Amino acid sequence: MGAASSSRPFPGTNGEEPTDLDLIQAMRRGAEAALEALYRRYGGLVYTLALRIVGDPELAREVLQDTFLSTWAGREAYDPSRGRVPWWLMGIARNRAVDLLRSRSHQARLRERHDEPSPSSNPAVASQAAAQPEVALRTSVRQALEVLSIPQRQAIELAFYGGLTQVEIARELGEPLGTVKSRTREAMERLRRRLAPLMDRKTERDRD
Amino acid sequence: MIDERDHPLDELAAHALGSLDASERADVETHIASCSACKDRLAEYQAVAASLPLGLEPVAPPPEAWTRIVSATRGRRQRPSRWLAAVKWPAIAAIFALVVFWNLALERELSRRSPGPAPGPEVEALSRRPGRVIILAGTGAPASSARIFVAVDGGGHFAVSGLPTLPRDRAYQLWFVRSNPPATSGAIFAVDRSGRAWVKVTTPASLDDVRTIVVTEEPASGSPAPTGRELLVARPWP
Repeated sequence: MGAASSSRPFPGTNGEEPTDLDLIQAMRRGAEAALEALYRRYGGLVYTLALRIVGDPELAREVLQDTFLSTWAGREAYDPSRGRVPWWLMGIARNRAVDLLRSRSHQARLRERHDEPSPSSNPAVASQAAAQPEVALRTSVRQALEVLSIPQRQAIELAFYGGLTQVEIARELGEPLGTVKSRTREAMERLRRRLAPLMDRKTERDRD
Repeated sequence: MIDERDHPLDELAAHALGSLDASERADVETHIASCSACKDRLAEYQAVAASLPLGLEPVAPPPEAWTRIVSATRGRRQRPSRWLAAVKWPAIAAIFALVVFWNLALERELSRRSPGPAPGPEVEALSRRPGRVIILAGTGAPASSARIFVAVDGGGHFAVSGLPTLPRDRAYQLWFVRSNPPATSGAIFAVDRSGRAWVKVTTPASLDDVRTIVVTEEPASGSPAPTGRELLVARPWP
């Protein structure tokens, strides 16, 4: 691992744990260890998202690796005003995963496995550990999704995890495009109202 | 309250989920360039979309996943990538310009293509990402021109026209030329009857030491390093 450029690897504000932005800035100074720290923080989330989309652990690992390689290669390009670092990571991951998903044959997609592998014993990835605000958000997201109707939830999942356009969803469900679009919007509106109070576009971790 | 009749609320929600096609995305970007209410609403929907994966049951990646990432980044020169440093996450107006530019470029390419398999989902993926366009000039094949698009998050697409069709035992190959050889192959392709091709390109994990991009003619199965003369060369960039 390349040597960090200062004696304390990633200065955080007031000597606390580095923010996501601190890690990006350390990466810009060439600290590969900062990429590892980012991976420990968000690798689990990226992998979980990728696995949900592509449905195959090998492909999900490919997405995970491509995402963090792209993060390293594109570390200059990250703009905090566009949103939090994990959103940036997940956008990269989702794009890559949907590309892979859509380039496979339908037969391969139908063979998608639904059973989830048991969590690995690798202690380096914080799949469970999270700061309190993250845990609260995780619970709230699950609860908010449970409140949606089945068709609303399906609309969200087909779009976000299935990588389908509104037109494709309408075709797959045999429903009018307008119906699908308003259902998608209603679902997002309900989620927005429930989650907006909990979401700050910049959290403690990002503030510098 | 946003009046539904004047504002594409359905499309904002779908956009945040990544569920619009290229032209619908362009329409939304056009609208929000001059509508701050919708721009804010879209940002809220995007925050919702970004939190959706938190609702998934977490799965830890295999330990070896990190090893591969490290070995790919290790040993690279640490100066910022010249390619990607030029690509900033643009302000809304610039996103609009980028998407419109890409849609126009894509429509031109698609309308000029002779009948054949359409790029399909790749086209959608292409116009979704921020990235960099590089023009290649036909220094060795005067009637030809090409452009390559390299996305910020890796992956790329290459469109070329004006190359002669080749016999079955020959093919064109695209190369990322480095300062330390060997050059990395990005694609092996053939052109259709009208001399055009549209290919997905494998971009190297790091573009830091890529000097230029060239297209050569090679045997049909490709070569490990360029052997043919350079037909197309990327114009120097700042």
